[in-house]
Amino acid sequence: MDPSWITSTGIDIGTSTTKMIVSRLKLARTSSALSLPRYEIAERQLLYASAIYNTPLKGDDEIDAVRLWDIVSDEFGKAGISKGDLKTGAVIITGETATKANAGKIVHLLADRSGDFVVATAGADLEALLAGKGAGADRRSNGTKGAVANIDIGGGTANAAIFQRGKPIGTVTFRVGGRLIRIDGNGTILQVSSSLRPWLEASGYRLEEGMSITYVDLKKICQSLCRTMLDYMSGIAIPSKDETVRALLLGKPLLEVPRLEECMVSGGIGRLMNERAPLTLSETAIHNDIGPLLAHALKEALANYPFRWVKADETVRATVIGAGTQSMIISGATVHLDPKLLPLRNLPVLKLEITQNLLDHPVNLEDFFAETMRSGANLYDTEASPPFALALSGMPILGYSSLQLISEYIVLSFSRYFPECGVIAVICESDFAQALGQALQRRIGPRKKVICIDQVRVEHGDYIDMGEPISGIMIPVVVKTLAFQSRVEVTGSFEPDDEGTR
Amino acid sequence: MNSSIQLELFVNRVMEELEKKLSESPREPMIDHSSTETVHASDPDVVTVKVPQPKWKEGLTELIESTPARIGVWRTGTRPLTKEMLKFRCDHAAAIDSIYGEVNANLLDRLGLFAVETRYGNTENYLKRPDMGRIVTEAGVATLRQACKPKPQVQIVVSDGLSANAIDSNLSDVYPSLLDSVDAYGLTAGTPFFVKGGRVAVMDHIGELLEPEVLVLLIGERPGLVSSKSMSAYMCYRPRNGTVESDRTVISNIHPGGTPPVEAGAYIGTLVLKMLERKASGIHLDV
Repeated sequence: MDPSWITSTGIDIGTSTTKMIVSRLKLARTSSALSLPRYEIAERQLLYASAIYNTPLKGDDEIDAVRLWDIVSDEFGKAGISKGDLKTGAVIITGETATKANAGKIVHLLADRSGDFVVATAGADLEALLAGKGAGADRRSNGTKGAVANIDIGGGTANAAIFQRGKPIGTVTFRVGGRLIRIDGNGTILQVSSSLRPWLEASGYRLEEGMSITYVDLKKICQSLCRTMLDYMSGIAIPSKDETVRALLLGKPLLEVPRLEECMVSGGIGRLMNERAPLTLSETAIHNDIGPLLAHALKEALANYPFRWVKADETVRATVIGAGTQSMIISGATVHLDPKLLPLRNLPVLKLEITQNLLDHPVNLEDFFAETMRSGANLYDTEASPPFALALSGMPILGYSSLQLISEYIVLSFSRYFPECGVIAVICESDFAQALGQALQRRIGPRKKVICIDQVRVEHGDYIDMGEPISGIMIPVVVKTLAFQSRVEVTGSFEPDDEGTR
Repeated sequence: MNSSIQLELFVNRVMEELEKKLSESPREPMIDHSSTETVHASDPDVVTVKVPQPKWKEGLTELIESTPARIGVWRTGTRPLTKEMLKFRCDHAAAIDSIYGEVNANLLDRLGLFAVETRYGNTENYLKRPDMGRIVTEAGVATLRQACKPKPQVQIVVSDGLSANAIDSNLSDVYPSLLDSVDAYGLTAGTPFFVKGGRVAVMDHIGELLEPEVLVLLIGERPGLVSSKSMSAYMCYRPRNGTVESDRTVISNIHPGGTPPVEAGAYIGTLVLKMLERKASGIHLDV
């Protein structure tokens, strides 16, 4: 089959700026003609990048929906595409903007208006990952032995993603950003974000609105801020022993800080690092904030750490390019589903790990499925169709009899806890979706529908979107990953005796 | 004569010394010769790096994971380690064994497959005369005429081909999955059977005899050093005498380390459906 191209968009609504891109993705068969078909995104091309707009706000805690839509629709017009052209994409709301009162509503509205399979996303971890991919840190790490970090620093937060040999291994967020302290050209402090105050206090700095500050003192604060962040990233400072690190971390720390070989910086600060260093307060305050000074303090600080600073492929547009080109994956091509059921949005994932031990003890396997479905029935709407996606991982290869056993227990437990549900959705990590899907369909009967896709790796607590098939067989999938850190806790091994104590 | 006795004595002494050394270090068991299984079934997910003190362990692991070929197996002097050499010989022996092996009769019984033969005669002749593996014996023809439903929509045939081992290992996963798939698409299968000593083009002779719309032949592949258990599924729309190779569609490398068997079974059903819909196979079928 000839490779097909699809058009994708990315829209990033950040703390200080909003931007969008249009890209096209080439889908091509990557398996040989003698193998089961497998399609992947073989190429990503940036077609159009919008200007960078200030994020339109109404007052302090609301996004101006009307002006935002004007910007976006105007840019779609300039890019020469209409809603029908867009096959996929992601709207991401990042940094402090995500905390605005109407953020959730806006991002869904924008996604719906932009195209059928444009998804709404938010979350610091996903933001860090998309920025890291947009900046090229994942590709870069394929050429290095050690890990490569990208720190995307915008107005309100710094999102770091770490990649090793092309794979993401962790994300972490800091309260570091160019607009956390706002000043004017004379050094008068206009505003200090409440997000930064704990760190300022822990570090012994006193900054109040209306105070005056010198260039030298402001630079010291910026240097100190960068040091705290980089001390953590290089493993020198440990949150449990260092109050300043604790005060700077937003959310959970990394499970383990890997040895970094290279570090790149994207986002607005990444761009400012490539510009001329500000030498005075008035040069610093061109945007009425500390951005330029923070950028150059960071550039100087990076020279003192054992990892190399490398330039990011993209700086201020890293996140939006990541959202527009990296958020979608393609399911395995041998699947079982009725295309009429697609697209499906925001399916929560319930994950099950199947082990050889469970297969050897069918009684435990049966309990395992029953327990999972029971917890699913407590968590999700039992009348939604489908209420969630059941993710199976663990066994790379299953025999016919094991597959029959698994499908038997899935259908039994699903029918018991979700009797009203007309659709069951299953996501397999390994390649057996069509076989499992047909086994499920035989058991569940013709009145109920089965969606079974594979070769998609999801984690407990993720949300998944499935789009309409492209060229009939390629199912586009967007996995909305939650924190790396939370994974270990929720995907712990199953203990049947645990039920009473939970 | 004299020198050959000396050599024998020398070899014996070396072996004695080796055995002494091995018994001193019992941590690594020798390859279990009782079953080739232990060699092949080494879990593909667990990569053991055999290079002592590699400069970059993660990188080497990544390379080893990327291929089933024998890389990073280490050496002694300029030669391979005895253990690797034995493993190589063992895999080679398994390949030869699967050519000379016979398909488990119980398996065929359990799946309800009766057997007919081609004119291959014996394995030596089978290897020398591929043409004889393409024709069913006269007795076989009579059996097929009598036992099989004529002009079926889908005819499934199983053959040992060059690896009986492939059939023993994969048929019980591929075949029922394929039947389920055929059934799920609302298609009907004819009377399935087993052909001993078959070549791929035996499809044409069977096609002439039974006139199926689509024929699926599950056949053991030429064994290799990575796997001796690899099976192929050859599919053809209306195979008849004179069918050319490019008219056949194939899914190959079916074994637990390659194309997953149960998924292959299900997908073969999809291909059969497409062949029936488009009345074509091979290069004429765009999939």
